[in-house]
Order: sequence, then C-alpha cells, then structure tokens
Amino acid sequence: MTAIRVSQQSSINKHKEEETISFFWNNKKLRARKGDSISAALLANKCQIIGRSFKYHRARGVTSAGVEEAGALVTTGKGAYTEPNVRASTTEISEGLFVYSQNAWPSVRFDMGSILNLFGRFFAAGFYYKTFMGIPPLEWGRGTGIWMFFEKFIRKAAGLGTASRLEDPDSYEHLHTHTDILVIGSGPAGIQATIQAAKTGKDVLLVEQDYAIGGSYLSLLDKSEFKKQTIKLKKHNITVLTRTTAFGLYDDTTVGLVEIICPEERDKKPRKPRQRFHICRTKRLILATGALERNYAFSNNDLPGIMTVSSARTYLNRFQLLVGSNIVISTNNDSAYETGLELETAGASVTILDSREQIADLLLEQILGKRINLYLGSAVAKAKHGVISPCVKHIEIAQKTNDGWRQSGALSCDCLLVSAGWSPVIHLASHQGCPIEWNEENACFISNGDNKSIFFAGSAAGIWQFEDCIQSAKEVAGETRTKGQKPSSIIGGWRTAIAPLYEIRVPTIKGKAFIDLQHDVTASDVRLAHQEGFISVEHLKRYTTLGMATDQGKMGNVIGLALMADALNRPIGDVGVTRFRPPYTSISLGALAGMHRQSHFKPIRKTPFNNWSLANNGIMIDAGLWHRPWYYPKQGENLQDAYIREATITRRSLGICDVSSLGKIMVQGPDSTTFLNRIYTNPFAKLAIGKARYGIILRDDGMVFDDGTTWRLSENSYLMTTTTNHAAAVMATLEELLQTRWPDLRVHVTSVTEQWAGCAIAGPNSRSLLSEIVDDPSEISNETLPFMGVRQVLLQNIPCYIARISFSGERAFEVYIPSDYSHTMMQFIWNKAQKFESCLYGLEALGTMRIEKGHVTGAEIDGRVTIEDIGLGKMASQNKDFVGSALRKREMLTSPNRPQLVGIFPKDKNKTFSAGALLNEAGKRKGHPLGWITAVTYSPALGHWIALGFIEGGLTAVEDKHIVLSDELRSNFLDVEIVSPHMYDPEGKRLHG
Amino acid sequence: MIQISCPFCGKRDHSEFSYGGDGQINYPPLDASEDTWHDAVFLRENIYGRQIETWQHLYGCRSWLLVERDTRTHEIFSVKLAHSDWQKLMEENR
Ligand SMILES: [Zn+2]
Repeated sequence: MTAIRVSQQSSINKHKEEETISFFWNNKKLRARKGDSISAALLANKCQIIGRSFKYHRARGVTSAGVEEAGALVTTGKGAYTEPNVRASTTEISEGLFVYSQNAWPSVRFDMGSILNLFGRFFAAGFYYKTFMGIPPLEWGRGTGIWMFFEKFIRKAAGLGTASRLEDPDSYEHLHTHTDILVIGSGPAGIQATIQAAKTGKDVLLVEQDYAIGGSYLSLLDKSEFKKQTIKLKKHNITVLTRTTAFGLYDDTTVGLVEIICPEERDKKPRKPRQRFHICRTKRLILATGALERNYAFSNNDLPGIMTVSSARTYLNRFQLLVGSNIVISTNNDSAYETGLELETAGASVTILDSREQIADLLLEQILGKRINLYLGSAVAKAKHGVISPCVKHIEIAQKTNDGWRQSGALSCDCLLVSAGWSPVIHLASHQGCPIEWNEENACFISNGDNKSIFFAGSAAGIWQFEDCIQSAKEVAGETRTKGQKPSSIIGGWRTAIAPLYEIRVPTIKGKAFIDLQHDVTASDVRLAHQEGFISVEHLKRYTTLGMATDQGKMGNVIGLALMADALNRPIGDVGVTRFRPPYTSISLGALAGMHRQSHFKPIRKTPFNNWSLANNGIMIDAGLWHRPWYYPKQGENLQDAYIREATITRRSLGICDVSSLGKIMVQGPDSTTFLNRIYTNPFAKLAIGKARYGIILRDDGMVFDDGTTWRLSENSYLMTTTTNHAAAVMATLEELLQTRWPDLRVHVTSVTEQWAGCAIAGPNSRSLLSEIVDDPSEISNETLPFMGVRQVLLQNIPCYIARISFSGERAFEVYIPSDYSHTMMQFIWNKAQKFESCLYGLEALGTMRIEKGHVTGAEIDGRVTIEDIGLGKMASQNKDFVGSALRKREMLTSPNRPQLVGIFPKDKNKTFSAGALLNEAGKRKGHPLGWITAVTYSPALGHWIALGFIEGGLTAVEDKHIVLSDELRSNFLDVEIVSPHMYDPEGKRLHG
Repeated sequence: MIQISCPFCGKRDHSEFSYGGDGQINYPPLDASEDTWHDAVFLRENIYGRQIETWQHLYGCRSWLLVERDTRTHEIFSVKLAHSDWQKLMEENR
C-alpha cells in the first residue's frame, strides 16, 4: 500500500495553498498537512508499519480512521510529556510533535521480538496461566515460582507503550457542567438533533470526540449538506465542544466528559490546562454516536495495508489521501460500494468481493462501466505479504459453495479494505444497564436507551439510510415522541440484506486469523476457550483477554461472540454480551485527579498556633488532615535528641504543647446531663459545675469508640473534648442519636473545635507560670482549681478557660484561648515561661509521656478493644445503661483470656524494639502470637526503652512466663518483661498538689 | 452521581452526604436485652429493590435523613428528615 495525495475539486478545503507543518516520526523530521491525523500524516509519508503487536510482535499498520483503531497506536511527546498508546487515527498532528512507534526493539521495521511469532502456537489463550501459574500437580509452589522468575521478561516483551515516570508538568481542571440536552456526536444525526433541540429554546451542549465537527460528513465527497447544517448550527447559540469524549454514563444522566484543550491554544496561553474533566448533568441525553465498521477473521487479517472500507473513504475525502492504486474490497453489505466508486474515480483500480450471491440492481448499475471488478459470493480467505515487505501484496479468494467456503483463486493488490457490517456505538447506554438486543436482520446489537432520558439517533440506533437518520434525530430532539413509542424511522434500511460474515475458514489455508488485533487474540483462541469450557462471555473475555486492550474490543467483540455462538451452535443473541464499562476510550489519570494533587491532594488543617510554632522552630507532622508540631529541635538535635530533652524538661520543670486539634463539642440544652449520662460509660449525672470528668464512649456493639474529658460549664452547658482522630465521627454520632433515636431530648450539639486554641502547660512549675499570666492568681490555687477543676479566667483581659487536667501525668493545665488571640497569647505565655527552665514540646514527647503513664490513644483504641481490654473496666457503670452496655456483655467480650493492655520492658535495658512486634512464650514463636506491641518510646524517666501492648490474659496471666518479643521484619528478637501499663508514677502523686 | 433533595437545602450532589445505614431499624431502649440489641445491631436485610436508608447531609445542614432508594437503579423516591418530631419543632420555632 502506498498512499498518495489526490486533488479533489469538490473538497471543502479547496486547496488554497495547503498549510504544511513538520513533525517527527521516530526522531526523523517529516512534513504533514495541517489538519491531518497522525495516521494520515504517516500514510502520506509512506510509513506503513506503525507498531508491533502485543504478544507476537507482528507488524501493524493503520486499520481505521477512528476510535476503533487497533493497529496504529503510537507514543507522542518526550520526557515528562510522553503519552503512550495514543490512537494515531484520532489524534491531530501539530507542529513539532514527536511521534514514536511502540513495542519494538531495535526498530519497528526489524523487531527482535517478532521471533515470538514463530512460536505462536505456544502462546495461545491461557498459555501464561497454564505454563507458569501452575498446572496440577505443579500449582503448589513450583509453577508459581517459575512464573515469578519469568514474569519480568514476559512483561517486557508483551505490551504496548511505556508511560513516563516523570511528574506530569501539566495541569488539569474539573468542571461541573449543566445542560437541558446533551448531544453526543456531531455527525448528520447529532447536528440535526442539536439544531432541532435549540429551536425549542432549551440549553443544548454538543460534544464531539474528534478535533473537527462533522462525524461521517467529513468522509463524504459532497459536503454541501454539511455546509448548510453548520451555518444553521452557528445561528443558534449552542455550546460545541470538540476533542471532547463522553467516556462514561452514570446515575441521574450524569455524563463524564474529558475535553482535550487544543494544542495550538495552549501554545498561545501556556497556563491553560491540558485537559478538562466535565461532570455533566443533563435532563435529556441524545446519543448520536454513530456506528463502527467491523472486519472479520481470515488468515493474516492483521497485515499492514488492511483497513476498513469506510476509513479509506475518510482518508480520501477528509485528508485527500488515496490509500492504494490496486485496491481489493471485501464486503458483506451495501455500504462499501460508494467507497469503491469514489476510489475508482480518484484513480485506483478496484475489485469488490461481495460475500452475498445476489445484490440489488441499483448497485450493479452504479458500477457498470467503471474500472470495478465484482466477484459475488466471494470473500478474502488469506492475505499475504511480500517477500521483503510485511505489507499486504496478494490475497487468496474463497468462493461460497453449498458446504462452506472453498479456495477459488488469487489476486494481487496493494491495499485490502474490509467491511463485515456495522456495530452501533451503544456503549454509554450499556454503562447504565439499558437493555441491549441482538438484531439478527442487521447483524448488530441495538439499544433503545431507557425511554426516559436516554435516546438514540442516527446509525447509533441501527438506522443506515441518511434521510432516516435525520428523521430519527428530529424526533428525539423535538420531544414529540412519547414514552414507550418506538421511533418511526426504519432500523437497517439497506437495498440488499447484509449477509452475516464473521470468519472465513478454508481447510486448505493456514495462518493466524485475528479477532482482537490489539491483544493478539485469534479465532482459534476462541475455539480453544470453548473446548476448555470457558463458554460464558465473561469467561471467554478473561480467558482469551478479548476486548481487554485499550480499544475495549470495539471491532472484535462481536466477532468473538459470533464464533463462540457458532461453536456452541446457538444464536448470537443467546450467547449475550459483556456489559461495557467506562471509559469508552482511554482517558488520562491526570484528568481524573484534576487539581487534587500534591499539597492539594487533601485539605490541610492548621491549628491556630501553626504559624507561631513554625516561627519557633517547630517541625510539623501529618495527623489525619492536621499539621501538628512534632518536635522543636535545638541546634544540632535530631528527633530523638529533641523529644528526650522535651519530655525531661517537662517532667523536671515546665513544658508547653499545642493541643488545639482535639475535638471540642458544645453540648447545650435542658437535657444535656441526661444525654451525656447515656453516652458515657461512667456516671455524668452528678458532675458539679466547674468540674471536668474523663469519659469513655462505646459503640453500639460494645467496643470502645472514643475517650476525652467533658467539662460542665453551667447547669445546661458542657464542653466535650474528643480525640483528634475521632472528632468528626463523634460529632456525627451525637447528631445521629439526637435526631434519629432520642428526638425527645432537648439538646443541641455544636462543633467548636476551630473556635478555641488549646495549649497544655505541664510540669511542676506549671502553676507558677499560670500565676504569672492570669489576671487574678488566686483563681488558680490548689483550692480554687483542684485536680479536674475548670474555671473561666481572664488572661490579659481576654476570657479563657483553664482546666486542670493532665495527659502527661504531671501537674498540668489546659488553657483554651479564643482562636483569634492565640498567636499573641502564646507569645505572651512563652515570654513568661522564660523565667523557668522550660520548653515547647511536640507530639513525640507527648507520646513518650503518655506511654510512660499507660494512657491509651488511637494506637490502642483501634476499634477492636473493650473497655476491660484497656484496663478501664471500672469506668463502666453497673448502675445505669449507656450506649453499648448491652452488647459489651457478650460472652466472648467478657472472657478473661482476651488480650489486655500491659507495659513491656526489654530484659536487657540497652535493647530497643518497634511497634508491631509480636509477643510469644519462649520457644513458641510460630503461629498465632500471645500479644503485640502498639507503641514504643525511649523513656527519659526510666532510662530505657518501654512499650505498651496487649497480651492474652493481661499481666497476671503471664507473670511467671518467659516472654520473648519477635520482630520478623527487622530481625529483632529479645527477652522482655511484662509489667503494669502504669510504668511511671503509678500512684499519680505528681498530678495532685 | 446520584443527587439527594435535602428538605432544608434542596437538591445536592451525593458527595455532600454520608451514608448511614438501614433506616428501618428500630433501635431498642438502652436497657433492652443483649439478644434484642444483637438483632438490632447485626441482623440486616440485603434488599434488592426499594429500601429506606439513613444519610446525613454532612457538608450541608447536618440533618439526618431517611431516603427511599432502589438499590438496583439508585433511583430515589422520597427524602425526609429522620427526626420524628421535626414538623412540631419547626412550628414551635417559627
Ligand atoms: Zn441539608
């Protein structure tokens, strides 16, 4: 096949000095016409071998002019702009574009991998599974081992393009688009529907996946009708998006659109996004998505130089490219004849093989007197390449006989065009589960949409005649059709009926007959699947990988189904069709991610002290969405140096810590006390005003949900604090209980987490510091503010709360400051703290001190522990019912053998360990462990590493046992001592006084 | 991609809501037996068709809602506030 540019007088681009541009094919500079697709540009430059196939590395060329392209896949761009598996048929060439062939080494013309082709019979369907994944009795062990060894070599040899591993330098946008009517496809039916819909005054959006509107109009020789329609289209104020693919249909007629921004537009405005992802909601969806022409299975039907009939017409009339001079057309339907005539007029000699034994007189009259040879009852049985060239050079013809097909002759040609019928594009309707039927008469699947908001028009509805397509578009857009009414247009509508054609098999002819060119699936693979029992379409798909490549089997699926139906001796309609899944064509992950990347991947929550902490050398750590101070290193300190110093100074004198991320919920109303008494496991009915209480919340199933302190501020007003992690979940749960279960309770809950900045002031000197900062120091004496006391006090005349509560185990206070004053107030407090030996401490030192004290956090309260498991069983009241009180008494939850919270010391005090390590009895390291470690730290107070963890039966059960810790991943094995979780100041003397 | 019509806020995208669970469970009083609670917490119908479920308008008015939805098609038939006395409360506060 050697394509040449031709001149057509009636063409829309009246050859006004065609603008030429340059591009690079495998780094070689070539010229193209502006408006060419990559395929057109390559054909015009006589580049016929575009890539190598997935498994067998066979040469592949242009097979189509649209999204169904199975051969011409290329990589575009360089470096970070690399885009693999681009369909050359639908991508516009642009100035300076880099285009590369795929899956070939060292070059696309001579590819080492093609040697695999010689061993083709070993690579049939299921080959990898059978050989490497294990065949009984090898499947246990050996087979898998072989697979793991060979996998990397096979993965390298099999495949398509390679994605760049560099960061994507482009940006992408997300848009929410709303319209009354969305029309997909801008062919004759789509444009007509759009014009019709716009006349009704509705909002109409027309989207087209190509870079030019027109659809099949672009492939016509006579473009006068197209011109008329585009003028009408422009009269109405209609939004038209080109380069925009409707890739998926979702609930509520929500359509996913990906719009590729015109490269030229981006050259002018480089900050424009590369692609836009529209979430488009429409009241009515008109699918004018057209139909795709199929090929059929015959020996070597994948040779370069073989393409669909309609694509040759597109190359001729849209790109002025005549794809060959000696062309053979193999067809089973009427649509090929017009193309044949146009190719002949353009200068080619044309032979038509029609599998039908009779055709309409009109068709015969049309070709009369032209240089067109017609063979009726004939089809191509085998394509053959040249001696050196891998492109098609000859064909073997098969003739229909009473008992099948028989070899009947040969022809030479430089291009073979195939048409074995048309498949309406019903993918989007299938995404939403609209019914799909096999139409025997037209040999295609047809869907009617849902008769509510999803409608088909034109050839997407299986309507072939131009006038009927236009009529169907008018009907669906004008809304004259009522529910349940069938379209008046005629489905089908050819002069001679199509003769089903899926495969030509002649006993005397051998060679691979492909049904899925992208994944190298052959007709014999389907028969093998049938033989081995994979007869359901879903199994067929997975066993042979038919339709699983980037084209999703747009051409091949129907052939595969037909061959399976044949093997099963059942009608195609009975075999069924796999439901199509989005996306219709491949879309980039960048478009889906949009702006949600890097620091915008998730929202960041900063505490009111954030800037102050950063200014004071704080290093931040992610805690959920929060950024929390981790540690405050001095010159030369690492994390460990810093947290040990911070914990030491806090226990010795004074430390200050940002605790603003704790959840804070105001609980207000006359029934607040009753409500809290139901929520918490411990009594809240008699908490005095001005006092705080530590409480535990269970889930309905009796497991521990969250913990925190709740302060009674007045008769009917409480401030509840929650853990940082569960703040949102606790809030939603309280709302659920109040709104759904206890609507009679007069309680209102409000999240005030953002309103208050909280800092812990801990250590023996904490009260001394407080007396420096409060306006009236008498308010914070041991008598006025005892342990668990709460007071509103003035700091610099600002009303703040001080609660005497301690997470560190030291005498400590939490000061809550209105967020707006946090920065100045923290500076004020910190200045005053300079009188003492003092430090700022972060999350790491906070963790150290809580582990020393055996206080639990999310590491222990992981949703699988009971209140007894964490050693707080006494906090579960026996005198009242509360959330979870019934189910926490379940037998397995009250077993004394459950793992319980303990402290862990290494026997050798110089040793360290890590969270996640397992605990076992000495000599019993295998199998289910006795326990595990949840948190570790170096304890400055004790002078060695310590841990918290759980062990079966708790401390008493293992007191006389020899326990070993094992950390298989880090190869750390050591003897440990199980101790009480209260490892430091167990009597709590330091809290009081 | 379904939309839920919140009685307070109007039609909103489902991403503003969080799914609760079976809306037809009658949670027993706190002093009910272990068995009664077991059934309420753990026994669920796996409905193929219309079911009533709870959703919270999390990024809106934070109302808990009872939504009647078809689990096969995701079609929504009705949305109302879960609070049983909401009409009375609305009138009292008018
Ligand atoms: Zn709402």
